[in-house]
Amino acid sequence: MHEYSVTTQIVSKVLREAESRRAKRVLEVKLQIGELTFLNPEQVKFWYKALVKGTVMEGSKLIIQEKRGLVRCLKCGYEGSFKYEDDPAYHIAFPTLLCPKCGGVVEIIGGRECIIENIKMVV
Amino acid sequence: MTVKPGDVVRAEEGEIYDIELEADILEANRRIAEENRALLRRYNVKAIDVMGSIGSGKTTLIEGMIKLLKGRYRIAVFKGDLTTTIDAEIISRHGVKAIPINTGKECHLDANLVKKALNRLNLEEVDLIFIENVGNLICPAEFPLGSDKRIVIVSVTEGPYMIIKHPYIFMDADVIVINKIDLADAMRVDVEKLRMDAERINPRAKVVATDCRRGVGVREVIEALNL
Ligand SMILES: Nc1nc2c(ncn2[C@@H]2O[C@H](COP(=O)(O)OP(=O)(O)OP(=O)(O)O)[C@@H](O)[C@H]2O)c(=O)[nH]1
Ligand SMILES: [Mg+2]
Ligand SMILES: [Zn+2]
Repeated sequence: MHEYSVTTQIVSKVLREAESRRAKRVLEVKLQIGELTFLNPEQVKFWYKALVKGTVMEGSKLIIQEKRGLVRCLKCGYEGSFKYEDDPAYHIAFPTLLCPKCGGVVEIIGGRECIIENIKMVV
Repeated sequence: MTVKPGDVVRAEEGEIYDIELEADILEANRRIAEENRALLRRYNVKAIDVMGSIGSGKTTLIEGMIKLLKGRYRIAVFKGDLTTTIDAEIISRHGVKAIPINTGKECHLDANLVKKALNRLNLEEVDLIFIENVGNLICPAEFPLGSDKRIVIVSVTEGPYMIIKHPYIFMDADVIVINKIDLADAMRVDVEKLRMDAERINPRAKVVATDCRRGVGVREVIEALNL
């Protein structure tokens, strides 16, 4: 829902990087978006396209890699993705903070990022 | 040694640069949130973040808690709203300081807005701050503000699936409030089922069922917050 403001920040960050290197054109931006963010990749792409118009980023490719949430069990040390529970009454699988291995409580250690990983530009 | 022009490393004309940036866009907010947290700690002020859907009962719950806590704490309330100051006015009737934070078009408060509101307060004169976020179960979870505890409130009028539909915001909650239980029958919503969903998604959170309009359960919320 706040894809617009986040994408604005992404674009201005990339523009600053491009400017500091006197780039003529930005070819590609690689982005990582975590499962626990509330950023919809499709909407980020939509705003990206609109926001780069008329800048050195126009025409650049936005590659979005989605990253799974990562948890760690406080009891058994399990590290990995969430335990999803299936509720037959709801027909929905939803993530929980329960350890898939031992049923202990897990803490979230990853999946909240929105990282500009890499920029390709022509100088 | 002098640097000669020929020593300078320059990009060739038309060369492609591949820049590893590893810059997290959301990090800036987290950093300011940590600054807020440190500031609050320095003045020994507790801050409680109240999040939940539009109309779920955030303001009513805060009013209820103020009534019970006014004697023990000097309270201030920050109220995030898109444009209006209605909630801030409701709160200020209780004789506590209410600072409206207009987010403009944004669907959430962020740490920087809270920082500005904190600058408006004399923190020596405050012990407890409630921060009512914009009514929204999605975006506020992305933007920690620097509070000590987070309440997420959901009401039965939002239907039986609200918690499992928005699991992530509930994962960040210390206290999950299920409100408007007086309307559960009319809404055909099973409060116990909602409670089970909340407990499964976040076994660390304390879950409290309330009827905030009549003040039922508000004391339990206060206990769950260790206030
Ligand atoms: N029946 C019933 N009504 C309630 C309860 N709690 C709140 N309400 C009513 O629900 C409506 C919305 O309550 P608010 O406290 O303004 O909700 P809010 O979450 O602050 O709303 P926004 O700030 O606009 O998102 C009001 O008419 C309240 O009187 C409750 O426990 N039971
Ligand atoms: Mg309100
Ligand atoms: Zn485990």
